[in-house]
Amino acid sequence: MKQIQMTKNPPFSLISTNKIIQMSDVWTSYDSKNFALEGINLSIDRGTNYSIVGQSGSGKSTLLKLMNSMMIPSKGTIKIDYVTPDMNNKKFKKMMHTIGYIPQSLGLVKNITVLENIMIGALPRLTTIQSLFKRFPDHEIQEAKKIISQVGLSGKEDRKAYMLSGGEKRRVAIARALMQKPTILLADEIVSELDHVTAREIMNLITDAQKRMNLTAIMVHHDMQLALEFANRVAVIKEGKKILEIGVEGDTIVDFQTGDLSTEEIIGMYDDDSKK
Amino acid sequence: MTPKNNIVIGIIVALLVVASYNVDANPIEFVEGLPNLAIVVEEMLLVEPKYIPTALWAMLETIQMAFIGTMVGTVIALPLSMLAARNLNSKYVYGPIRALLAAIRTFPSILWAILFVIMVGLGPFAGVLAITMYTVGFIAKLQYEAIETIDSDPMDAVSSIGVSKWQLIRYVVIPESASHLLSQILYMFDYNVRQTSILGLVGAGGIGFYIINYIKFFEYGKAAIFMLVVLVTVLIIDWVSVKIRDKYIIKSQHGMEITSK
Repeated sequence: MKQIQMTKNPPFSLISTNKIIQMSDVWTSYDSKNFALEGINLSIDRGTNYSIVGQSGSGKSTLLKLMNSMMIPSKGTIKIDYVTPDMNNKKFKKMMHTIGYIPQSLGLVKNITVLENIMIGALPRLTTIQSLFKRFPDHEIQEAKKIISQVGLSGKEDRKAYMLSGGEKRRVAIARALMQKPTILLADEIVSELDHVTAREIMNLITDAQKRMNLTAIMVHHDMQLALEFANRVAVIKEGKKILEIGVEGDTIVDFQTGDLSTEEIIGMYDDDSKK
Repeated sequence: MTPKNNIVIGIIVALLVVASYNVDANPIEFVEGLPNLAIVVEEMLLVEPKYIPTALWAMLETIQMAFIGTMVGTVIALPLSMLAARNLNSKYVYGPIRALLAAIRTFPSILWAILFVIMVGLGPFAGVLAITMYTVGFIAKLQYEAIETIDSDPMDAVSSIGVSKWQLIRYVVIPESASHLLSQILYMFDYNVRQTSILGLVGAGGIGFYIINYIKFFEYGKAAIFMLVVLVTVLIIDWVSVKIRDKYIIKSQHGMEITSK
C-alpha cells in the first residue's frame, strides 16, 4: 500500500474535457420495483485507468454491461464516445468491435485453441469466407503473435482453452480483447479469484497495455487496495449509488465527491462496507 | 404414503383395468399360448448354418443403409438445428422450423418407409430415405437442445465484440456443441441399425425382408439365423459406440466440466 497525500486542488492532468463515457442519472432495474442502479452519474476521460469498486450486488457489473449495450438503462442517458449504446443503434453497432469486454467468467470458448480464441477479437475485420474457413490473413496472424508474446502465452497457441490455468485463461481473455484493437477495455473482476502475485501480474499486463495503446480501461474490483494501486480514478458503488469518486495521481488522492475525507476514512469507509 | 398418493395409484389401477378390457389383454390367453411359443422356439433351434453368409450380406446391406441414412440425415439436420435454436433466432424463425421437425418426428420410420416405397418403389433406397427422414427429425431436435444449453457467457462475450451470426456459429456454437453431436450421431446410428432391420417388413430392403418372408412361410429355422445375426451385430455396435464415447466424448466433456465454474 503506497502512502497517499490528500489534496483538494486536483493537478491539471486530472481535469479534461475529452469524455469517452458519460452517464447521467442512470437507473436500471431487473423488474419494475427493484433498481440495480439508482441515479448514477459518471464521466470518464479518454485514456483513464478507471476502477469501479463495490461489494457483490452493489450494481458494479451492471454498470459495466451498460457500457457495451448488454443492458439498457430503464432511465437516464449513456453516451459512449458520444453514441448511445444500444444493439439496435447502427452507429453503435459499428463501434462495438472497439470495445473490449472481459466478463467475470471470461467467456472463452473452451473447445478451441488459444490462437483461435484470440482471433475471435479480429473477426469483425475479417470477411465471412476468411472466418468460416479459418483463413486468417498474415498480418492478423502477426498481430496475434505479437499480442500472445505481450501477454506471455508464447508456445501455448495451440492448447485448447480448457487446458489452461486460471491465470493463463485471463491472459487469453485479455489478448482477445487487445486483438480487437480497442479504444475501451471493460473488465469485470478479472483478478478476484487469483492469488496475490498472479493478480498483480495480470493487473500489470492490463495497465501496460492501457498505457501503450492509450486505452480507456474500466475495471470492476471488490478490492479497494488493488484499485488504488493501479487506477487513476476510483468510483465506489454501494447499493446502486455512487458514494465516492477519487482520483489518484502519483501519490496524491483527489476526492471529487465529498471533498473532505482522509485516505484512512476512504479506505475505512470501504472496509466497513465490505465487512457487512 | 399420503391420501393424495393413494388416490393417484387408485386412478392408475382403474385405468389399467379399463384399458386392458378394451384391448382384450387377457393373461389366461397368454398362458394358453405358451405351448405355441415352445413350438416356435423348437423350430428355431433347427438353425440352418448354410444361410449364415446370406444373413451376413443382408446385415451388411442393413448397416450401409443405416450409415447413409444417419450421415445424410445429420448433414440436413445441422442447419435446421441452428435455425431451431431459441438462443440464435427470433421466434418467427425457430417456431416454424420446430413445427416442421415435430411433424417429421410424428411418423415412426416404418411409416416413412411405406411412404417412400410408394414413391421410389421396393428396395433399400426407400429404406435409406426413411432412415434419413427419421434422423433429420431426431438429430435436429437433440442438437438444438444441445445448442440451447451452451454456456451463455462465451456467447455473450463474443456477441459483444460485434461478430456476425455466421462467425458466432463457427467459433462458439459449433465447437461448444460438437461433443454432443458426436455422441448423438453414435446413438442415432446404433438406433438406426435396429430400425433398418425391420424396414424390410414393408419391402424397404435390409435384413428384415428375409426375416418377414421366412416367418411368413413358417421357416423359423432360417429366420432364426437372420435374427441371431441382427442380435450379435447390434450388441457389437453397442459395445463399439460405448468404447468411442469413453475415449473421445467423456474426455472432452470432462474438460468442459473442469473449466466451468
